[in-house]
Amino acid sequence: MSEPVVVIRDLHKEFRRDAIRIPVLSGMNLEMAEGDFLSLMGPSGSGKSTLLNLIAGLDKPTSGTVIVVGEDLSDLTEGELAQWRSRYIGFVFQLYNLIPVLTAYENVELPLTLTGLSRRERDQQVKTALDVVGLADRMDHFPRQLSGGQEQRVAIARAIATDPTLLVADEPTGDLDAQSAGEILDLMQRLNSEFGKTIIMVTHDPHAAERASRQLHLEKGVLVDDVSVTATNQEQP
Amino acid sequence: MTVLGTGLVVWAMVLTFGLTDGLEHALRISGHPLDIIVLRKGATDETGSSITPQQAQELATLDGVARNANGEPMCSAEFVTILTKPRRNNGGTTNMIVRGVETIGRDLRPDFEIVQGRDLRPGLNEAITSASMASRFENLSLGEKLEINRVDFEIVGFFEAGGSAAESEVWTDIRDLASARRTPDAVTTVNLRVSDESAEQSLIATIQDDKQFNLKAIEETQYYEDQMTSAIAIKFVGYVIALFLTIGAMFAAANTMYAAVANRSREIGTLRALGFRRRSILFSFLFESVLICVLGGVLGCLATLPFNGLTTGTANWATFSEITFSFRFGPTVLMRGVLIALLTGLVGGLFPAIRAVRMQIVNSLREQ
Ligand SMILES: Nc1ncnc2c1ncn2[C@@H]1O[C@H](COP(=O)(O)OP(=O)(O)O)[C@@H](O)[C@H]1O
Ligand SMILES: [Mg+2]
Repeated sequence: MSEPVVVIRDLHKEFRRDAIRIPVLSGMNLEMAEGDFLSLMGPSGSGKSTLLNLIAGLDKPTSGTVIVVGEDLSDLTEGELAQWRSRYIGFVFQLYNLIPVLTAYENVELPLTLTGLSRRERDQQVKTALDVVGLADRMDHFPRQLSGGQEQRVAIARAIATDPTLLVADEPTGDLDAQSAGEILDLMQRLNSEFGKTIIMVTHDPHAAERASRQLHLEKGVLVDDVSVTATNQEQP
Repeated sequence: MTVLGTGLVVWAMVLTFGLTDGLEHALRISGHPLDIIVLRKGATDETGSSITPQQAQELATLDGVARNANGEPMCSAEFVTILTKPRRNNGGTTNMIVRGVETIGRDLRPDFEIVQGRDLRPGLNEAITSASMASRFENLSLGEKLEINRVDFEIVGFFEAGGSAAESEVWTDIRDLASARRTPDAVTTVNLRVSDESAEQSLIATIQDDKQFNLKAIEETQYYEDQMTSAIAIKFVGYVIALFLTIGAMFAAANTMYAAVANRSREIGTLRALGFRRRSILFSFLFESVLICVLGGVLGCLATLPFNGLTTGTANWATFSEITFSFRFGPTVLMRGVLIALLTGLVGGLFPAIRAVRMQIVNSLREQ
């Protein structure tokens, strides 16, 4: 079996606001194999986004180990982390976070400008990504000319344009109507099954969570109730 | 907003610079490098001087005095007086320089030329002036009569003199003016041109050293430079105002950019999550700020163009008379304006840009 994509050991994370310490994650363990599609549920404020940010290298843990795609993130400088993210991580946000002044095409091209690819190669990748999400005909539209569901599909195209190993999605359907949400979830499932992307997706919606191959709950700083069908499990201090 | 603010600042500054530039220009071209002004010893300007007609004639015979095409010595005895006259449009009264000249005096002014009407004829109490003087003072239009000690001088023509200080004067015949002033034959100054530079210093020395003369000779360029005090004062005030305006514009730019940074913090967080480095985001914000301000600066410069060449006047602090001159917006003045806009954008944008990238990614992303 190949190396796991995510390995988390005894992860602690607390925030400080003035003198108050807010413990969010306390001694969490997690392992994700390549091709896993994991959904993460839990009450609001339980630390789901915090965990996602730590896995994606956007934030540093208070203590513990986070190894993603074979890299111990604590070994990387900020600049190295930025480069590492651009290579291995694809982001999908709840509010899409498209750049409003750029067209769909340019938004998808954005992460590719950080790679050494030629214009032609970039063009190829952008069109492939937009094809996958079914919006090749909308590439000259600006975000405000698209529906929420379409915006999120463009955002997904942007996330997969660089062919990253791991997709992190923070409530990708949280702002969408049921139909659009269904389309987004179909797409996520397809990215997992057809393109072999490892995915971790935070959601509030139990139906959305069911689309994943593995479901986790975050409560009181640790993962519980791993109703995984495929992978090994761990956790509990 | 910032475009407008910077534009306004640059506009005001280019106007100020254009003003001082024009004033300096007027005074500078008034001084011909080969010309000498002879005054009575102790006099600081033309009006406080007096020279006897005999002395004036002797000066013309000195070695080193240039001659014109007709072989006449280029030595002009002149009588300068100052009158208090009403400005047009109820602008109150102000000092007016009236200069009595001989025919040769025209040869000593750069590009002297009658542009409207005709030149004056001596002995008939006629006068000529510049069109810009006519627009600034009552009674100086063609055909109007200017009263000097109850003698009426008819304006018969307008002249130009290459933008020099002569264009701020009214000219009459020297004897007509002196008689009106009840001082027939009086001469206040002698304006003369030397044949070449080497003759200049020796001629000055000859005049100064002659105890009989009791005269003082100064280079015309020096004379006008001394009168530039008002230009320098305007310039100083201009620079102080410019400084404060620029600081104001920098705050305006900073304000705009802070707002831009706050509005786009989620965008910034997204870009950084995608792997863009702090440095590239910093530069793009700085670039944006500079672009906005330079745009304003260029607009400000364009807005000054209607003023280009526009004539105005200011009190000459040495003689308290009006000198008229035009705004001048040369490339240097405009470049200075744009440069200041650039600086405004750079300084104003720096701190917001630094804030933009100092923020933690996770915090940027949490912002609305
Ligand atoms: N950057 C931060 N600074 C301070 N507190 C934070 C920060 N990020 C998250 N928190 C706190 O940590 C807790 C978990 O937040 P989050 O991970 O966003 O929860 P979830 O995504 O599960 O709703 C909350 O109490 C939140 O207020
Ligand atoms: Mg969250």
